[in-house]
Order: sequence, then C-alpha cells, then structure tokens
Amino acid sequence: MTPESQRIAGGASYGRTRNWLAALGKYLVLLLFATLSLYPLLLIISTSLKDPLDVTADPFELFSSFSPVNFYDAWTLGGFGGYFWNTVVITAITVVSVVALSSLAGYALARFYFPGNNIIFFIFIVGLMIPFFSVMIPLFYELKSLSLLGTNAAVILPAIAGATGVGLPLGVFLMRSFYMDLPEELADAARVEGATEFQVFRRIMLPLSMPGVAVLAVLVFFQTWNNFLLPLVYLQGSENQMLASGLYLFAGGRTGEYELAAAGSLIMTVPVVILFLIFQKYFIRGLTAGAFK
Amino acid sequence: MQTQSEAGRVPRQKRGVVERYVYVPPLRRQQMYYAILFISPALAIYLVFMLYPFLNTIYLSFTNWNGATVTKDFVGLSNYARMVGDAAAWKAFYNTVIWVIIGTISPVVIGLFLALLLWSGTRGSLFFRTVYFLPFILPLVVVAFVWQWIFHPLFGPLNKLLDSVGLEQLSRGWLGDPSTALYAVLISAIPGATGLVVMILFAALQNVDVSQVEAAKIDGANWFQRAWYIVIPGIAPVITMVTAITLIGGFAVFDNVFVMTGGGPGHASEVLGTYTYQIAFQENQAGYGSALAVLMTTLSLVSAVVFVRLRERQR
Repeated sequence: MTPESQRIAGGASYGRTRNWLAALGKYLVLLLFATLSLYPLLLIISTSLKDPLDVTADPFELFSSFSPVNFYDAWTLGGFGGYFWNTVVITAITVVSVVALSSLAGYALARFYFPGNNIIFFIFIVGLMIPFFSVMIPLFYELKSLSLLGTNAAVILPAIAGATGVGLPLGVFLMRSFYMDLPEELADAARVEGATEFQVFRRIMLPLSMPGVAVLAVLVFFQTWNNFLLPLVYLQGSENQMLASGLYLFAGGRTGEYELAAAGSLIMTVPVVILFLIFQKYFIRGLTAGAFK
Repeated sequence: MQTQSEAGRVPRQKRGVVERYVYVPPLRRQQMYYAILFISPALAIYLVFMLYPFLNTIYLSFTNWNGATVTKDFVGLSNYARMVGDAAAWKAFYNTVIWVIIGTISPVVIGLFLALLLWSGTRGSLFFRTVYFLPFILPLVVVAFVWQWIFHPLFGPLNKLLDSVGLEQLSRGWLGDPSTALYAVLISAIPGATGLVVMILFAALQNVDVSQVEAAKIDGANWFQRAWYIVIPGIAPVITMVTAITLIGGFAVFDNVFVMTGGGPGHASEVLGTYTYQIAFQENQAGYGSALAVLMTTLSLVSAVVFVRLRERQR
C-alpha cells in the first residue's frame, strides 16, 4: 500500500481529535477480531502444556502450568506418532500424484490436437461441481469390493480423483490454463532440435509451469492433511488412521485427558501453520485466482 | 525416436516451403499418441473413483439397497417420497438452510468490514490479515474440539466469562441445549470463513481506483458513504464470488457439527451432511442415504447456477 492511498483512503477528515478517535475505534475492532481468531489456538497450546493434575482443577485456564510431557504421551500412548507418519505418507503420495497426473493431462489438453479434446476437458470439469457426499456411499462399497477399505489407498485414490475438492478436476483445470499461456514457439524450437514430445514437456514446459505446480501442490497439501470425512468413512474400524480421524477417535473415547487431546491437536496443527507461513504466497494466489475467474 | 527423425528430415527436403506447414502432419500423429499416454492415467483414476460412484449414487437413490444384499430392488421415487414425510430429514434441511444463510452472511459482512478497515491505511495490515487467516487453515476437527471446550458447561471459558461479568443466568450447556446447539456450532465456523473473505476481498481492493475515492472525499463523502457508493460497487463481482464459495461450501457442512454435537441433542443440530452419514453408515440404508446425497448435490448445484447467472448480469 502506497502512502498516498493511505492518506486518501484513511479515516474521517474533520479535526484531529475526531481522527484520533476514529483510529482508536478502528484498532479496537481489528484487535477484537484478532483475539477471537487467535484465542482457539492459544487455548490448544495452553492446554497441551498443562500439568495433568492441573487439568482436573481447570483445564482451560490459560498457561497455568508447563508440562511438555503431554507431547511425549500423546505421541506414544495416544498413538499420534503413528497417525502422524500415516498422514505424512498419505498426503505426500496424494500431492505428488495430483501434481504429476494433472500436469500431464493438463498439458496434453492445452497443447495437443486430437479429436475429443474438449469433451475430455468437460468431463474433468464436471468433477469440480461434484461434492464428496454425492460419491461417498457407492465409493464405500466400491472400495470394499476392491478390498481397499482400511488401507491408505482407500483415502489416497479418492483424494487424487477429487473427493477433497482439490484433486484432479481442479488440477487439470489449473494446469491446462497455465500451459495455454506458455508460448508455443519454445516447443517448436525444441522439436526442430530433435526433442520428443515427452522431452518438450519434461525439459521445457514443466519447468516453466513451476509456479502453477506450487499453487496446486500447496492447495492439495492443506485439503488432504486436514481432511476428516475421507479417513472417517474409509478407514473405519481400522488401526490405520490419519491425524484427523485419530484425534476424533481418541477424544471421543474418553471424557477427560484434555491435555493429551490438545497435544494431539497441536501435533496435527503445527505442520499446517509452519507450511502456511512458508508457502503463504502460493496458497493465497491459488485461492484468489479461483475467486477472480 | 523414429517419428522424430522423420519429422526432422521433412523440412530439410523441402527447402523454401513454410517449414511449419510441412512439419505438422507427423507431429499430429505423434501428439495423438502422446495425448493418450498423458491423459489416460488421470482420466482412469477420475472415472473410477469420482464419476462412476457419482452416477452410482443417482442409481442407488432409486433402490432400497441396504449395502449387504446382492440384489438391489428398484423402488422408483419412494426414497424421495419418504424424505418428504421424514421429520428428521426436514429438520436437517431446515438447519442446513439456517447454516448456509447465517454462515454466509456473517463472514461476508464482517470480512468486508475488516477488509475495508485494513485497506484504509492501517499499520500492521499484514499482521492482521495473517492472524485472521489462521483459523481458515486450521484443521476443522481441531477447531471443533477447541470450541467444544469453549462451550463446556462446567469449565468452559464462555460460561466463566459470563459469570465474571454478572451474566451467570445466561450460562448453560451450550451444545447440550437444543435451542442453542446449532448456533453454538455455527459460531465455531465463522472465524475461518471470515479469514478467507478478508484475504480475497483485500486482494480485490488493490484494484480499486483510488482517484475516485479521493474525488468523493473532496466532495465531502464520509467513510461509510465512500465505502458504500464507490469502493463496494468496485469490488462487487468479487463479493458475489466469495459469497458463492462460502454458500456452496455451507451445504456440505459436516466436520464441525459431527465433532461438536453429532447432530444432537436429538436432531436439534442435525444437518444434511450428518444425517446422510448416519443413514448411510450407521443405519446402512445405502438407498435412502444416496437420495439424501442427491438432494444435497442438487441444492449446491442450483445455488451455483444462480450465482453464475448473477455474475453474468454484473458484467
């Protein structure tokens, strides 16, 4: 924001006191909502650090005691260590697959001439409008008959296909529009030099599309890591859980032990917050691109 | 590689002809082959795990399948007829509509207001935007747990706050009371949705023509007049879009309700998502559950179409 636009757009224009009051009011409103946004996170951090004895007295008083032992207990006794690695594996495979398959398909749909090109693109786009609930039930029985229920594949395959909302349909759509904007002359130059179509894609077009790939990868990461319904339904009754469903099962099975549930919540949340702060740019670009189209 | 050497040789033989014209036919053949290679893995996974089950949901909604028997009896529209007479389904529908209305209007209004405040030259704007956005990226399960604690009847910080300011007659088991359960859950979803609205609208505000705002200021328009008559019309298409995103997502609400109340007490906070889940996986009524899923899909599709139309009119 430029100083000029600040001056122009800024608060009330009559008199100093009035300006000062307007600014005070503005910051009070901003801080009030900031508190509401941050309080839940502070409450988890505070509870996860609480001494188990202190929890029975008052589990939700902010920062009354510090006891890092809860993280160890949650990780081992609570089973969150296993859920964590499982979530890492499922998320990593999903992100890599969505990115790779959407780049290939998006490139082919943007750059190759073949009959049915538009029909195939349209078929993918339909998936953007299908909410998970409208595939959930038959997919359960489909995965059951494939003997995949309870395995990681029961989450990974639907997630890639678009059950989380950011799978192949969005990926193909994003990557296709990205490749359409790249100049065809580059590809022609490489073809004249004797590159195969795969080499043109791999050595020239894919590296140029890295900003698009980053946006897609970040969106897929967040949706897969945070997803609750997929593991809830398709990992039902299995020892094999993701953090979201594991957390639900852990806290649903007992009344107390808030400190362990909080530690588990933090184990799930910390990677999300760290990656968000690192990749904020791509994340916001992905979301705003969607809104401006 | 063979096609390649062919393709490379053609232009050299016919010097003087426009190279690209001669070059195209073998390239096209090659591209067709590559297109199949590039597209089929994505298409296969998408068809098997998305489009096929989607069509299957529609089919199942016309059967009374219980998920176990080999045969699926075709029962026509009787699942849909049953829905009309099902009080719990009506309750779920009614609650979903409340969720969609309040859960869309409040984040959009609050988010628009905050975005405008941040845009009018606020120090620490980046800090506030990041803080507002944090609840949006938090896992919904975690958000739901924390708010469950906040609403806890005994230890809950909300009741403690009410007690400390002398409003103890208001304190209650927010999630256990049928009259407040849905709204308590709804509150847990508002900070996250608001963060998204602030982020998107703030980005849109960067394109507003500042000279018009300045002209209005010189003409004596106050902050609210400038916002209402100049800034907001300037970003109206983006406001429509962000409203649509929030609203369509609202029809599929599940995580917050399922974790915080499970749809209870009774069906007091039941929404279509939790009711569909319960019918399909706790009562194993795949047919009726599919009909409910079709209803959810139809609702969100219809509202999506309405918004696309609205947006076209804005242009």
